[in-house]
Amino acid sequence: MDLTPAQKILRATAAWLVTLTFVFPIFWWALTSIKPYQATFNDTPVFFDFEPVWNFYEVVLLGMSRQEATGQGGGAAGSGSGYYSLPAIFDSLIVAGASTALCVLLATGAAYAMSRMRFKGQHHFVFTVLSTRMLPPVAVVIPLFLVYRQLGLYDSYTGVVLAHTLANLPLATLLLKSFFDDLPKEVDESALIDGASRWKTFWLIAFPMVKGGVAAAAVLCFVFSWTEFLMALSLTQTGVRTVPVAASSFVTSTGTEWGFLSALGTAATIPAFIFIVLVQRHLVRGLTLGAVKE
Amino acid sequence: MNASSTAASTRPHNQGPQRSPFGLRLPRFLTSESPVPWVAPLAAFFLVFALFPLLYNIWLSFHEYSAITRALEPVGWANWERLVSEARTTNAIVVTLVYVGVCLAAQLVLGLAIALLLDSDDRGYGTLRALITLPLVVPPAITALLFLFMEDPQFGILSYVFDQLGLISRSEPILSNADTALFGVILADVWQWTPFMVLIFLAGLRALPREPFEAAAIDGASRLQIFWRITLPMLSKVMAVAILVRGIDLFRFSFAYIYTMTSGGPGTVTETIIYYAWKQTFTFIKWGYGATLSLLTLIALIVICNLFIYFARVRW
Repeated sequence: MDLTPAQKILRATAAWLVTLTFVFPIFWWALTSIKPYQATFNDTPVFFDFEPVWNFYEVVLLGMSRQEATGQGGGAAGSGSGYYSLPAIFDSLIVAGASTALCVLLATGAAYAMSRMRFKGQHHFVFTVLSTRMLPPVAVVIPLFLVYRQLGLYDSYTGVVLAHTLANLPLATLLLKSFFDDLPKEVDESALIDGASRWKTFWLIAFPMVKGGVAAAAVLCFVFSWTEFLMALSLTQTGVRTVPVAASSFVTSTGTEWGFLSALGTAATIPAFIFIVLVQRHLVRGLTLGAVKE
Repeated sequence: MNASSTAASTRPHNQGPQRSPFGLRLPRFLTSESPVPWVAPLAAFFLVFALFPLLYNIWLSFHEYSAITRALEPVGWANWERLVSEARTTNAIVVTLVYVGVCLAAQLVLGLAIALLLDSDDRGYGTLRALITLPLVVPPAITALLFLFMEDPQFGILSYVFDQLGLISRSEPILSNADTALFGVILADVWQWTPFMVLIFLAGLRALPREPFEAAAIDGASRLQIFWRITLPMLSKVMAVAILVRGIDLFRFSFAYIYTMTSGGPGTVTETIIYYAWKQTFTFIKWGYGATLSLLTLIALIVICNLFIYFARVRW
């Protein structure tokens, strides 16, 4: 049933309206990060009626003191020295990078075997991997917290990396299995018949064909680790502070510095956004563990 | 299963010496047909990081940290008895059910509606589909802060809009009012995750075959009839997956919103079971009771998910 031109315009208007409503909070966040202090706290919302300032980014990302950044005294919110967040961004990069690497390494081999080989209890194995995703993080974090303190892993990179790996492993494994399942079986079967070993078949034939899928799995693991909060909050103190944990500590009982927070929030969203754009095509499959194909 | 004994039995072709691309002799396990070396690292990881916490939680639920002896002391069934009798736990269960139920329903309906709206090949719709995924990449803890900011009674833009529309007065702070606090948190969750539902439904809609729709149009079916009789039933599998995945994730991500926006308050009106378990463990140092609460969540989640998978016939 085709739409009349008037209906088309109506539909497009509605579509834009809905989409922009969803994008608005992000726009508002970015706008707040370049608003002067006073404009943020205005009684009626201020849109473009201000001179943009960059002092929040200078403090959050470059470590300038508030005085250096604005050229004036402390003001209502003190020096702003506690808001330097570049170390948190580095911590997030290290944790997300390492857990992604570990996750993909463990998941690729297992996913290949789950897709290509037949073994006893295979169905149960797939199901076990799936049910690991049903583990509420809080149920994992309590034992890990106690054991980490004994082993000296509390507040260490290794500790958070391993926890994040656990959280993302089911996702990576089942997603990669769905990519391997999509490959025609005949291709690697003929390689096997020609005398290639399993390893050779995997490395020279199957793996190159699912490279895109591996990239998609890696990006999703990275983004989930980058945004994870509960585990990072519970298993670290001051030694390792990921961006979400650092950001949440900006809210204090004496008030919140929204300018700094919006600057960090905007800056922390950009890397994840770039990554997600790269795997847009595989996004749905990844988020549903391969159960819905696009 | 032993890697070396099963190596050659399944595939006679693999008996000859295997060489890597560089001419080096490969270790035996790489040339064998056994799945063990492929699966073992993952299995080992899960044993250590999933099975062990589960068992440790069970053990913990019969123990409690004692501030006097500074050690874990066995307490028998005390934690489980507390679980059944404590009003605050019952409250947390109710809050969780409301939170999960409202979020799922809102995201399903909104997600499907928006997906139907954006499912077009006309110009510009591709951009819209990309734009609407933006909320998904904002870390939930930062989304929570963003909504805390927008719901501020003095300068928050959402409070301003609600006030202008006459829905919630600005003199009633959304997040510190017992009637609206949970709504304020749910708003953040719905904003962040509705786009996820949109993506799932778009994938589902795009995969539907054209013929039934054309046939129905020729037979003169109305748009509404087509939606109820064809689109919806054909999307049922996608919908089941969406409910399952989102339902599970609601337990992972909701913590960030509640922790950051309300800390379970005012009183306990936004205290979900996950948040309560966390609080018992890390704020009240009741490790045993925290573990008991998290076990309850785990058991409930596994039972509900498996029933759902069985009855909705979700396949992986």
